Amino acid sequence: MKHKLIFRKSLLYFFLIVVVILVIIPFYWMIATSFKSEAESLRMPPTLYPHKIIAGNYKEALLLAPFLRYFFNTCTVALFVVGISTTVSVLSAFAFARLEFPGKQMLFFMVLTTMMVPQEMLIITNFSTIARLGWLNTYRALILPFCINAFHIYLLRQNIMQISDELYIAARIDGLSNFRYLLKVVLPQIKSTVVTAMLLSMIWIWNTFAWPNLVTTQDNMRLVSNGLKNAFTINSSIRYDLQMAAATMVTLPLILAFVCTRKYILSGIVRGGVKG
Amino acid sequence: MVTKQNKKDNLSYTKTAYIYLIPAFTLLAIFVLYPIINTIITSFKLDYKFLTGAFTEFNIRYYHEMLKDPVFRRACVNTSFIAFVCVPASMISALVVALALNSIKRFKQLLITLYYLPQVTNVIAAGFVFLLIFNKNFGLLNTVLGWFGIEPVAWISGSGIAGSAELYNQSYRRCLFVLFVYSMWQGLSLKVILFLAGLQNINPQYYQVAQLDGTSKLNVFRKITWPLLSPTTIYIYVTSSITAFKAYSMVVAMFSEKFGPPGDNSKMMITMVGYILEQLGDYLKPGAVSRASVAAVVLMLIVMILTALQLGITKRGVHYK
Repeated sequence: MKHKLIFRKSLLYFFLIVVVILVIIPFYWMIATSFKSEAESLRMPPTLYPHKIIAGNYKEALLLAPFLRYFFNTCTVALFVVGISTTVSVLSAFAFARLEFPGKQMLFFMVLTTMMVPQEMLIITNFSTIARLGWLNTYRALILPFCINAFHIYLLRQNIMQISDELYIAARIDGLSNFRYLLKVVLPQIKSTVVTAMLLSMIWIWNTFAWPNLVTTQDNMRLVSNGLKNAFTINSSIRYDLQMAAATMVTLPLILAFVCTRKYILSGIVRGGVKG
Repeated sequence: MVTKQNKKDNLSYTKTAYIYLIPAFTLLAIFVLYPIINTIITSFKLDYKFLTGAFTEFNIRYYHEMLKDPVFRRACVNTSFIAFVCVPASMISALVVALALNSIKRFKQLLITLYYLPQVTNVIAAGFVFLLIFNKNFGLLNTVLGWFGIEPVAWISGSGIAGSAELYNQSYRRCLFVLFVYSMWQGLSLKVILFLAGLQNINPQYYQVAQLDGTSKLNVFRKITWPLLSPTTIYIYVTSSITAFKAYSMVVAMFSEKFGPPGDNSKMMITMVGYILEQLGDYLKPGAVSRASVAAVVLMLIVMILTALQLGITKRGVHYK
């Protein structure tokens, strides 16, 4: 009986490890190729690991395309989006969860409805708004449309509603204003949801492609995804070694950030779904 | 009876509440509500000129034209392939992985983290890696196939397809296969996490009772796990198919802005969002923005129907009470 159990367990682990390997292979191939020389990256059949490690690919990739600029742009946009959208979401979530005012149900219903509308539908009009304002190739164009996120408002509202009424009444009796109550009582209690919302925004910006591709035409305004898409194809032949080095540089920061903040991200994703 | 003091208090509540909502609703009005209305209106404007805003009349002609457009049909077929083939396939594998993960303790967190990596990987970077893996001459896949004596396959190639329907279909099937593998890899992670959360929500008492009764493993799954998991399953299916209907970046990363393998001019791999953005790319041409809007309205309707379906099914409650 015990042997059978051990056998089953090892079979289970074997299966899970095979899946892990399949998931990891693209990452391995990306990193392996990024260290190959140009000649080795084009060898047929390919080498399964870099026979001679060329770390210079990373430097060359950075020189060939203004990747530092792309990183700077992406970080700037992410910083502003995270800052503005979190403030906006917390304020409105607090109003919906705690305050009473006419039209509350209707306005909240409106927020929920917009969650259903695909971002891709909004792109057309947003593009013409931005173009008419003369904002093409500006940070404003990259930042503002990302600053409103109905899902985050919803997530934060659910969280604020869990804070007991007594606390609010006590705070009001003590003469604490709504805003001070929000800062001193609510924020510390919803900290982890706020962090989750911030992280999800950051991942979103890091990976977004369609919108920045539309509103930036100048190379120095591009974000990492767009920069990566356009670089390294010289005269229709692709420098795979450099492309993979750049892909690694674009991928690693986010993976590191994810590994460090895993708890928040996964909890946010699960809460957005199963229990929602 | 409402006292004067109370009334005054309520009034000040109202004012502050609106101040808290102003930033959110300003942004919502400009970047969400106005675009929805404007896109619907624009989709009916004939010969709409982007720069001047001039148009000849309101008409549903573009809707008619789009339904007949072979490129749009292709976009629908490809998008449906992702939503109705790739999504269910990756759900089944995700469920198997989640069931396995749910019955182990050691290394569980590590495995979850590793499974999740594709989800936080830049789409363009991942698309390029897959392009390289599927490369005919120095790709990993053909190398591995070569170990089993299989000749190198040109996975992503459009050479000679213009003249031969057979070659075209072969090339198309291969591209769909690449897309399938990519979506399996990319989609598995999120679904595993969600299924696992769903499994952990099931009350362990059911399993204890089943164990006492000596119910077989298969029956435990059929009678307990599957029905109790169904809200999760429906949620995952709907959200994933909505994501599938918005597929764009991965297709551009693997098949370029021409939406096909090199040598293909028929936009073989275009998706619905690809169609929208391609029309929008010609925004200076009269009518182009309207055509993009037509496709956007259709996309919105599909997504809304899916969401309504999900809400309807979840409200009725598919689980045991």
